[in-house]
Amino acid sequence: MLSSYLTLAAILFCIGLYGTLAKRNAIIVLLSLELMLNAVNLNLIAFSKYGAIPSLTGQLFSIFTITVAAAEAAIAVAILIALFRARGTVLVDAFNRMRR
Amino acid sequence: MPEQTLFQPLTWSDLLVMAPELALGAWFVLLVVLELLLPRAVSRNWIGGLTLTGLLGAFTLILLRMLESNGEVISLLGDSYRVDDFASMLKLLFLAATALIVLLGLGTVRYDRAVTDKGEYFYLLLPAVIGAMTMASSGNLVTLYIGLELLSITSYVLVGLRRKSSLSAEAAFKYVITGGLSSAFILFGMSYLYGVIGSVQLAEINAALPGALEQYEALIYTGFLMMIIGFAIKIAAAPFHAWSLDVYQGAPTPIAAFLAVVSKGAALAIVFRMMFATALFASPDRTSISSVSDEVFFIVLLVAAASMLYGTLAALRQLNVKRLLALSGVANAGYLLVPIGVSFTIGHLNNMSEFLFYLIAYLLMTIGAFGIHTVVSRAAGHDELSGYAGMYYRSPWLALSMILFVLSLAGLPLSAGFFGKLFIVLGAERAQAYWIVAVMVLSSVISYYFYFGLVRQMFMRSSNGLSGASHSLDNDEDAEEGYGFRTSGTSQTLAAQEAKAGHIETAGSSEQADEESVVQSAEAKMENSLSSSLEQGDGVIRIPWPTGIVIALCAILTLALGIVPGPLVDIIQQLFSFPLPSH
Repeated sequence: MLSSYLTLAAILFCIGLYGTLAKRNAIIVLLSLELMLNAVNLNLIAFSKYGAIPSLTGQLFSIFTITVAAAEAAIAVAILIALFRARGTVLVDAFNRMRR
Repeated sequence: MPEQTLFQPLTWSDLLVMAPELALGAWFVLLVVLELLLPRAVSRNWIGGLTLTGLLGAFTLILLRMLESNGEVISLLGDSYRVDDFASMLKLLFLAATALIVLLGLGTVRYDRAVTDKGEYFYLLLPAVIGAMTMASSGNLVTLYIGLELLSITSYVLVGLRRKSSLSAEAAFKYVITGGLSSAFILFGMSYLYGVIGSVQLAEINAALPGALEQYEALIYTGFLMMIIGFAIKIAAAPFHAWSLDVYQGAPTPIAAFLAVVSKGAALAIVFRMMFATALFASPDRTSISSVSDEVFFIVLLVAAASMLYGTLAALRQLNVKRLLALSGVANAGYLLVPIGVSFTIGHLNNMSEFLFYLIAYLLMTIGAFGIHTVVSRAAGHDELSGYAGMYYRSPWLALSMILFVLSLAGLPLSAGFFGKLFIVLGAERAQAYWIVAVMVLSSVISYYFYFGLVRQMFMRSSNGLSGASHSLDNDEDAEEGYGFRTSGTSQTLAAQEAKAGHIETAGSSEQADEESVVQSAEAKMENSLSSSLEQGDGVIRIPWPTGIVIALCAILTLALGIVPGPLVDIIQQLFSFPLPSH
């Protein structure tokens, strides 16, 4: 039981990592980031039920991560809106004015 | 049961112990409300002054607590919050650094027209430093994570505060993405660690790790590896440092100093506590069980070596001072990781004092260098190295203090950085990690080249620092939108530049596909217009008094620590009660 949850979480994490690093649309990048954080939540809850020593702590931890991830997403979207106003695009290829 | 310990209520005596953090939090809320109520005409520098007062108040409270507690360890809320000398010392450092950065802000934010909300610039530093303080004294993975995110989320906003500069928003966006990635890695590692131990307390993890290692070796290794990757992103250590260059360049300079000192320091502190409170265990009887600790510490050393080498080698070709300072931060993160990575061995137990001493030296020299850069970039109108040309002839004292900071960053005698590096090298040598000693010495020697490039600019070139910069688009944009130091005689060219910038912006929004080419052609045009008119800054170095105080203080302390490091070392070693968990 536990191993299938862990595998699913690992797959989600990898998909999220791929999306964050490779996608061109900034919104998709943010979504992929959330996917990675949710993989963590899945892990925590699976461990809290089926782990070596089951305890409520995992569920508590996941509530904390969900809350903080929401705050982080709000800030990220706010910054993205500011950037969209300045550049007129959400494609990450356009965010390259600091390279030299 | 672990879940019971998490629910311990906060008592009145706990409130007293947490007084510095709570007072700062209350002060932050007060300042937010005050800023809303203040009429627009009132200078936001008052908010800066009040922020400074709050920071100094918290500093005093911690100092009082340290004198009172006399080295004993106080743990609150079921050991999820530990107040020991390690934490208190780091909190003092973070508060002092933030106070210096508020002073730098007082000296620059008034002239920075891209910052529209000048009050936020100051009071947002408070939750960030509360986050750093929480990290420094966390005894539990959840507290650690909350502190980390409090610090990170606030710094995302701070980086993006130059609202009229799109570079700032770009830097903030990059910071959010890398910060989110690092949190995800750290959390993923933590979840594995929690899964095999069944607890998030550092002490319990430490106690249960040897037993769990026999059954779940792979999970534990993956967990630690993921956590190290996440923290390496946070402290901008070598394979994961690329964000720091862009973020420092786009952020307001004092905020870049904040990231370089407080963010990095807090993340390093937590790595220190994590490594020594969890991975280091059961040294006498670990002959039979395979130990995770050696490998984990070795990975930390590898990251340290990579940071030192990459930070110095990449800096050789760097001409932008903010990016140069970011790379120097990468190399210094490597030096600071060495006392963590060499671990405790018999005959070498003072990793803590090596770490703290170099952190103090790093704080002083980095804030000093960034402080000088705020002044010089304002005079020159750009961030390039050529802005320092002939600085000795324009402002000899400033040039001399810059030399001091550069000596310290390079680790040459008569500066705090020399003794900092010396202690770390001696410690690593005593721990018999000779290869890391070689890497440290090698990267120090390479770093002389580019640090002395800076000195050469200041002395050998006679120029006002205005010409010769490779003007690229972002500098122009920065100079144009950023600083209000232009003299009235140049308003004509200013208007021309603004028109051009407007052209770029509209072009960018109308068509994404050919934005690249538009930007490039505009860049060429911009270069032409600028070669004919070189008056973004007037080349005169003016030092606002708050910046002057910061630079003088950093320079005096760097010099003092470089001549007599003894007293500080004694203080650190006396105070220090190391938070090793009891079995």
